[in-house]
Amino acid sequence: MSSTTTESMPAREPAPSLGHAGRNAGRSLPGPTFVRVLNSEVIKFRSLLSTLILLASTAVVMVGFGALSAWGTGQFADAANRDPQAAARMAAQGGDLAVSVPTSGIAFAQLILGSLGVLLMSSEFTTGMARSTFAAVPRRLPAFAAKLVVVMVTSFAVTAVSTWVAGLAAVPILDNYGLKLDLGSSQSVKLLLVNSVYVAAVAAIGMALGTLIRNSAGGITSLVGIFFVAPIAFQLIPGDFFKEARKYLPGNTVEPLTAAQHVPDTLEAWQAGLVLGAWVVIPVLLAAVLLKRRDV
Amino acid sequence: MIEVNGLTKVYGAKTAVAGVSFTVRAGQVTGFLGPNGAGKSTTMRMIMGLDRPTSGSATVNGLPYVQHRAPLREVGALLDAKAVHTSRSAYNHLLAMAATHSIPKARVHEVIEMTGLEAVARKKAGGFSLGMGQRLGIAAALLGDPQTLILDEPVNGLDPEGVVWVRNLVRYLAGQGRTVFLSSHLMSEMAQTADHLIVIGRGRVIADAPIQDIITGKGQSRVRVRTDQPDRLHQLLAGRGASIAVPERELLEVTGLDPRTIAAVALENQVMVYELTPLVASLEEAYMELTKDDVEYHSLPAAEVSHP
Repeated sequence: MSSTTTESMPAREPAPSLGHAGRNAGRSLPGPTFVRVLNSEVIKFRSLLSTLILLASTAVVMVGFGALSAWGTGQFADAANRDPQAAARMAAQGGDLAVSVPTSGIAFAQLILGSLGVLLMSSEFTTGMARSTFAAVPRRLPAFAAKLVVVMVTSFAVTAVSTWVAGLAAVPILDNYGLKLDLGSSQSVKLLLVNSVYVAAVAAIGMALGTLIRNSAGGITSLVGIFFVAPIAFQLIPGDFFKEARKYLPGNTVEPLTAAQHVPDTLEAWQAGLVLGAWVVIPVLLAAVLLKRRDV
Repeated sequence: MIEVNGLTKVYGAKTAVAGVSFTVRAGQVTGFLGPNGAGKSTTMRMIMGLDRPTSGSATVNGLPYVQHRAPLREVGALLDAKAVHTSRSAYNHLLAMAATHSIPKARVHEVIEMTGLEAVARKKAGGFSLGMGQRLGIAAALLGDPQTLILDEPVNGLDPEGVVWVRNLVRYLAGQGRTVFLSSHLMSEMAQTADHLIVIGRGRVIADAPIQDIITGKGQSRVRVRTDQPDRLHQLLAGRGASIAVPERELLEVTGLDPRTIAAVALENQVMVYELTPLVASLEEAYMELTKDDVEYHSLPAAEVSHP
């Protein structure tokens, strides 16, 4: 192939494309606006097979867990119907077990999409792509913001759609056990929206970690540390401080946000919302500031 | 036009670039020559706004790169053949780069064709050979049809045909009035490509001159003279302002006088001369001479390196 290009290159050159280079040629032509950078990030996002595989895995896991959980809940309800004590316990919990079935795989969705957030940024640095990205968008922050939008919107959408499909799969299974699941009820909708927002938040935290650490393994380990290790560690360490601090971990904000009634000794819904918001805003701002300052 | 002014980059205790200043003019190929670790890439990254200078500044066409409204249309850069996501196809990589500046798809196809990547454009860039990676990097640099091109070691890893192709391409681009700034650690490559040379060693500019001046200037032509009266001839020639080395008894290496003058002086004074050889320094020798004190990693025996 190279033999054909060696000598013929200038001849093959379409004259207008390389012929008009005036000193000010670049000044009046389109540059990187936010919309264009967003478009570029969308192209980058959809042109990676690994990204699409992670999105598909999220959907599969969410729907699979929804179906499994519907079956398990049905079995439990059956047992409860034969055991008045268990029935009483169930009633005390608010009775509606079925409503949380569609979101039962959320822990895995947050792990997968959080890791995706880490990878989308860390891979820019590990592959060297960052030099191309930030040569095209030398102000850097538009590229960061565009990637953040892509990561959060996709995570929200994938979680919302998979939750909905998980619900559709769960309804006939629950029906078998005489349990009703109304996907249109306000609690169902609230669970779907809050969990999807939460997963988008986790993905944003992941992307911030990927930007700060610039290393895939380190970023994902940190993410797992915050969402899976810290809650357990805080529970094991004795003392009121850690018991109190545990409430402020990002993974523990979903329950207060979705509870039908406020559960004692947990955050109020508005407090939980603020805590989750802080967990997103602080790392993202830190990542943006450092991205702007550091060498690529 | 690229203007670099007192550019300095310090990493911890190590100074990679130490107050470098130069101007790269339009309409010619300017070579940026230096041994590995001399600070070429760091300087280029600072020009592109990717690395923050410790001090000093760099402008391209009058503005710092970061302040250009359409940077890819102003400057095209190949900074690293591996500045590509390994799992993305060459086509999608270029498409994503183009999207940031609303560069049409047709232009993406055009640069793919120009760089001879048609056959592999849909394949993952991670599987590319170094040469294909270089071609993709050059394609990306040409996307915005920029006035200024910055190419870091563009011939690295190319086969001989690819090397000729790059040489023709950069000469062609400079011929259109563009600014072409390319780095290499290979003197011989520069000799065939560049019009002007900036030589850098240990982060400092050692020479900044038209390539012809570098050959004739620093590697000043010397004359080897063998005579049976070395002391007397030494005295006579030194009296005419030559600087003389005496590598052996009966052998003088004279710098600053041409062979004809030396012969005339010898004849006038009845000194027998039995060898008179002009020594023209090759560019390679001139480069070695320029950078010999500034190479970061010496290999032994160093002498063999200079005779390829």
